[in-house]
Amino acid sequence: MEQYSILGRIGEGAHGIVFKAKHVETGETVALKKVALRRLEDAIPNQALREIKALQEIEDNQHVVRLKDVFPHGTGFVLVFDFMLSDLSEVIRNARRPLTPAQVKGYMLMLLKGVAFLHNNNIMHRDLKPANLLISSSGHLKIADFGLARLHSQQEDRLYSHQVATRWYRAPELLYGARKYDEGVDLWAVGCIFGELLNSSPLFPGENDIEQLCCVLRVLGTPTNDTWPEMAELPDYNKITFKENPAVPLEEIVPDSSPHAVSLLHGFLVYPSERRCPAHQALLHPYFFCSPLPAHHSELPIPQRGGGGGGHHLNPRLQAAPADFSVDLPLKSSLVRPAQLRGHASCL
Amino acid sequence: MFHDSSQRKYWTFNNEDELEQLRSEANQKFRKKIRESGKHVISESVFLNRHEEDVLFRNYERTLLDFCNVFKPAMPKSVIGTAIMYFRRFYMNNSLMEYHPRIIMLTCSYLACKVDEFNVSSSQFVGNLVQESPAEQERVSEQILEYELLLVQQLNFHLVVHNPYRPLEGLLIDLKTRYPTLENPESLRKSVDDFLAYAAMTDAGLLFSPSQIALTAILSSASRAGLNIESYLTECLGLKNEQETLSKMYDSMRRIKSLLKRYELPKPDEVNACKQKLARIHVEFGTSSNNKRKRGYEEEGYVAKEPRIREEEWTDEDLV
Repeated sequence: MEQYSILGRIGEGAHGIVFKAKHVETGETVALKKVALRRLEDAIPNQALREIKALQEIEDNQHVVRLKDVFPHGTGFVLVFDFMLSDLSEVIRNARRPLTPAQVKGYMLMLLKGVAFLHNNNIMHRDLKPANLLISSSGHLKIADFGLARLHSQQEDRLYSHQVATRWYRAPELLYGARKYDEGVDLWAVGCIFGELLNSSPLFPGENDIEQLCCVLRVLGTPTNDTWPEMAELPDYNKITFKENPAVPLEEIVPDSSPHAVSLLHGFLVYPSERRCPAHQALLHPYFFCSPLPAHHSELPIPQRGGGGGGHHLNPRLQAAPADFSVDLPLKSSLVRPAQLRGHASCL
Repeated sequence: MFHDSSQRKYWTFNNEDELEQLRSEANQKFRKKIRESGKHVISESVFLNRHEEDVLFRNYERTLLDFCNVFKPAMPKSVIGTAIMYFRRFYMNNSLMEYHPRIIMLTCSYLACKVDEFNVSSSQFVGNLVQESPAEQERVSEQILEYELLLVQQLNFHLVVHNPYRPLEGLLIDLKTRYPTLENPESLRKSVDDFLAYAAMTDAGLLFSPSQIALTAILSSASRAGLNIESYLTECLGLKNEQETLSKMYDSMRRIKSLLKRYELPKPDEVNACKQKLARIHVEFGTSSNNKRKRGYEEEGYVAKEPRIREEEWTDEDLV
């Protein structure tokens, strides 16, 4: 712990307080997540174990937060992560005007790359939502909070809990109490996040579990044997019936979006999990290859954590050091005005 | 994937000598600690030597396996494999004289349940200690929680264990689809399972990859059933023109089989003698404490003397 000097408090996570700190030796800014077992009878929380388990065994990926270290401290331990300035929920909340189509594409591209990487490593995140998608000072999106993540295996007949995911992003099979499910639950959440980026407001803001299901059904239509053959096998299928209503075309749900965007959204928001578009496949969708192209990370808003600045002032560190060239820095901060070069470079 | 795993990077050793070296060091470290503590030691013979530690280790490992096998609800194999591996890893760097194997063994199995998402509550867990009274169960439950953090720390926070069970299923599927020479791969399953159960009680998991162990289990079971399926390696696993890899593989398989052959359960009278010795050590040197959670760290010198700033003084102002 002496290796770090605490700079401040970032917030309270599911299993402890998160601090901003500086690694004394390297000067690197990090986030320290403290897992404290205050009372002797406290067991180590499962969320902390899951987080370590999931993140320790994977290679680095640009779009997944990195667990840099774990060490014991006091009567608990500390998880060390890269420090991240903000998260996507703040970006959406603070945007003065809706995100541009190119910006939405930029976020979706990074999100899908991260999700594809996790699924390729047999990790189900199970709690994807804007607040868990952190934004670095360079505008990169990284998936975080693996407190519900699990390594999934096709072979074993183990049951999972259906009490996962934050309600608005919870897949319909979970709402119907499914105990056997797959990474499709993450793809559903990706669809919800996509819709939220397009509209700047949540797609299915249910206030309780029943209403959540109503929200989904109102848009996708009451499921039928055709649209969801496996539905009848779900535990809570018989517990609740809804008045039949037809599906609303997604164009009407995300009114200002391009046909490609609607088509990709449709790829995620379907009832049967196995029909949802896998992340690696979604990355090849024409949506990402037509104009406007996905925004570069330097063209994305970077709100200050907790500040109401709305992404208009740059991180002071970046402004102060234009000579500090790095590919991770916004392009703007590496550029020199041509006027300053006149007289030094003959071609100008 | 095993390839990127902490198991491969940190918990796979080159040979048995390396393992013995580490275990001897742990044994010496404990002796040294007692000598330096100023407590008078009449004779070095009060300590357990490496052989005696090994006797007790195998005894408690067996007890751990028995406990897991009759656990209710039935414990999946991977959980059991993980528990045993934790137990082995823990005593790579710690002496049995320092931490009593009985509580470590239970803590390993409790942690394995949690990590492998086999969700049982702590009271349900200790409820499986059927011979103990409810009061004693309660006490054990407290002890487990006390030691849990120490265990996690001694495992270096490396929680994921790769067992041979998944590669086994993969190999069986492969044999069924691509290797018609073997008519009924499923017929080997019983003997393969036995092989893996034994392998778990050797150092195989600390020396070889799970898939090597699974492959050895299959080949050795086949040959015991009078079937020769070595052409599977050359025909299906693409080792036809890889003489070097092939001979390395044969060497690994030979070493795994020899580990199993050498395994034997310790004799009861030997175990009892060692248990008594261990009990005396614990009484004499008072190695158990009522607060392992703290102690474990302080002894390792991990605890920060004083945090730079006290937590309470850290405020949000720092961020503005």
